[in-house]
Amino acid sequence: MAEFDSPAAILTAAKQVRAAGYRRWDIFTPFPIHGIDKVMGLKNSLVGWFSLAMGGGAFLSGMGLLWFTNAFDYPLIVGGKPMYSIPMSFVPSYILMVMGGAIGALVGMLALNQLPRLHHPLFNSERFALVSRDKFLLVIGANDDQFSTVETRKLLESIGGKHIELVEED
Amino acid sequence: MSSHNDSTHLPPPLDLSRWAKLPALAMAVGAILSILGAVASPAEFGFSWLLAFVFFLSIALGSLFLVMVHHLTDAGWSVPIRRFCEHLASLLFPWLALLFLPVALFGKSIYSWMRVASPETNNLIVAKAPVFTGPGFWIASAAFFGIWWLLSSRLVYWSLRQDVTGDPQCTHKMRFHSGWGIVAFAITLTLASVLWVSALQYQWYSAIFGVYFFASTTWVTLATVYILTVILQRQRLLDGLLNYNQFYFLGVLFFAFTVFQAYIEFAQYFVVWNANIPTETFYYLIRENGNWWCLSMILIFGHFLVPFFIMLPVSVKSNFKVLIPVCVAAWFTHALDLAFNIFPALHNDGYPLKWIWLPVGCLLFQGGFLAHRFLIKFQSHPPYPPKDPRILEAMGHHFAADEFTAGESVTGGNQ
Repeated sequence: MAEFDSPAAILTAAKQVRAAGYRRWDIFTPFPIHGIDKVMGLKNSLVGWFSLAMGGGAFLSGMGLLWFTNAFDYPLIVGGKPMYSIPMSFVPSYILMVMGGAIGALVGMLALNQLPRLHHPLFNSERFALVSRDKFLLVIGANDDQFSTVETRKLLESIGGKHIELVEED
Repeated sequence: MSSHNDSTHLPPPLDLSRWAKLPALAMAVGAILSILGAVASPAEFGFSWLLAFVFFLSIALGSLFLVMVHHLTDAGWSVPIRRFCEHLASLLFPWLALLFLPVALFGKSIYSWMRVASPETNNLIVAKAPVFTGPGFWIASAAFFGIWWLLSSRLVYWSLRQDVTGDPQCTHKMRFHSGWGIVAFAITLTLASVLWVSALQYQWYSAIFGVYFFASTTWVTLATVYILTVILQRQRLLDGLLNYNQFYFLGVLFFAFTVFQAYIEFAQYFVVWNANIPTETFYYLIRENGNWWCLSMILIFGHFLVPFFIMLPVSVKSNFKVLIPVCVAAWFTHALDLAFNIFPALHNDGYPLKWIWLPVGCLLFQGGFLAHRFLIKFQSHPPYPPKDPRILEAMGHHFAADEFTAGESVTGGNQ
C-alpha cells in the first residue's frame, strides 16, 4: 500500500503499475477521478447483463401471467377488450421489467463487488482512513502473481509512493 | 486519450469536394418533381411538401433545443459541436419560413378545416376559433417563426460575438436567452405541431401530440448531429477537440430519445386504445388500412425495437461503424413516421405508391436548398467556438495527468 498526494500523482503511478504488469491492484481516492478507469485498464462492468436478464425475465413473466390469468385459466371480459391483448399487457409488464432491471442491477452489483462484507484487511492500517480525507492510495494485492515484498516495494518507491507499508491479514 | 497526438495512425482527412454539387443537383431534380406534382395534383403536392417541410423543421428545432440545453446545463463536452447546431437552428428564419409559404398557400388543399362550408356551425372548429380561422392560421404561423427567429438569431449573435471578443459575458447572454427560450420553445413547438400536423384531422385531438413531436424532433436531430460530428472528425476540422466522450454522450442521448419517443408514441396509442372513444379511435382505425398497417409495423421495429437493441451495449454508442447506419436509418424512419401522421388524412385506405416520387422530390428540393444554406453559414465562420471559456474542458484537459505532475501537489501548501 502506497500513498500519493494528488490525483495527478496517482494517475501517473497507476500507469506505471499497470505497465509493470500487475493485475490484482486497486486505487482508493477521496473523490472520483475522471479517466482513472481507462488508466487502470478497467473494463465495463457486467452489471448490465444481470439487469438485462432480470428485466427481460420480468417482462416475459408479466406477459405470461396476464395471458394465463385473463385468457387461459379464467377468461374474463374487461371493458369490452379482447381477453389478451398486447397494448393492455404491455404496461404492467413494462413496469415489472423496470423493477426486474433495477433489482438485477442492485443484486448483480453486490454480487460482483462481493458485498456486503463486514471487514477488510485494509482497515488494519491506520493510514487507510486518510483515503477519505486528502490522500490517494494505491494497493497491490499480495495474491498478484508478480507480487514480491521486495520488488513491489521498490516499484512503489520508484513511482513516488510515500508511507509504503505491507498490510497483513489477521 | 493521447491517440489524437500520434497523427501517423489517422487516415487522411475525408475529402468531400466531389460531393460539392450534390445540394444543387438535389435542388434541381427536386424542383422539377415538385413543380410537376403541383401541376398534377395540388393536394398531393401540398401533403408532400408539408411532409418535407416538417422533416427539416424537426432538425432545425431539435438543434435549437440542443443549443439551449447546452447553455442551461452549462455543459462542457458539447462546446465543439455547438457551432453547427447553431447554424442548423438559424435555418429556421428566413429559410424554413420561406419553405413554409407553399404550405400556407396550399392550405385549402391540405387542411380540411379550411374547406368546411360554414365553420361557425361546426363546434369542433368554433372551439378552436381564434386560431382555426384563415387569418388566425397566418398570424399564429408568423408568431412561431418570429419567436424562433428572435431566439436563434440572439443565440448565434452572442456566440459569434464571443469568437471576436472572447468575453465570458457572452456566455451569460446566451444562457439568459436560453432561459426564456426553452419555455417559448416548448409552447411554440407544441402549438406548431398541432396547427400544422395534428390539425390535418381537426376532429381528432391528443394532449400528448406536442411531446410526441418534440421527442421525434430531438431524436432525428441527435442522429443528424452524430453524423455531422463524425464527418467533421474525419475531415479533421475538430482535431484535438473531440474525444471518446462526445461520441459516447451523443450516442447515449440518441439512445435515450429512442426510448422516450417510443414511450410517448405508445402512450398516445395506449390511451386512445384504452378509452375507446369513437372521436379518438378513428385516427388509428384508418391507420390500420392497407399499407398503413405495414408502415406501422415498420415503425414499431425500425423506429424503436431494432435501434434499441443495437444501441443497448455500452461500447456501441461510440462505435461509428455501427451507429452511423442507425443514424442514417433514423432519417428514413423519421420521414416514414411523419408520413404515418400526415398522409392518412389524404389517403384513408393506404398510400398509393405511384405518388411516392412526389414526397421524395419535395424532400430532395428542400434538403438540397437547406444543405446549401447551411454550408454557406458553416464555411463563413470557425467550425467551433474557439474562444468559449469551456473549450479546454471539452478537450478533456481536466484529466491530462502528465501536465499536472510537473507542478506536483496543489494542496500540499497548507500542511
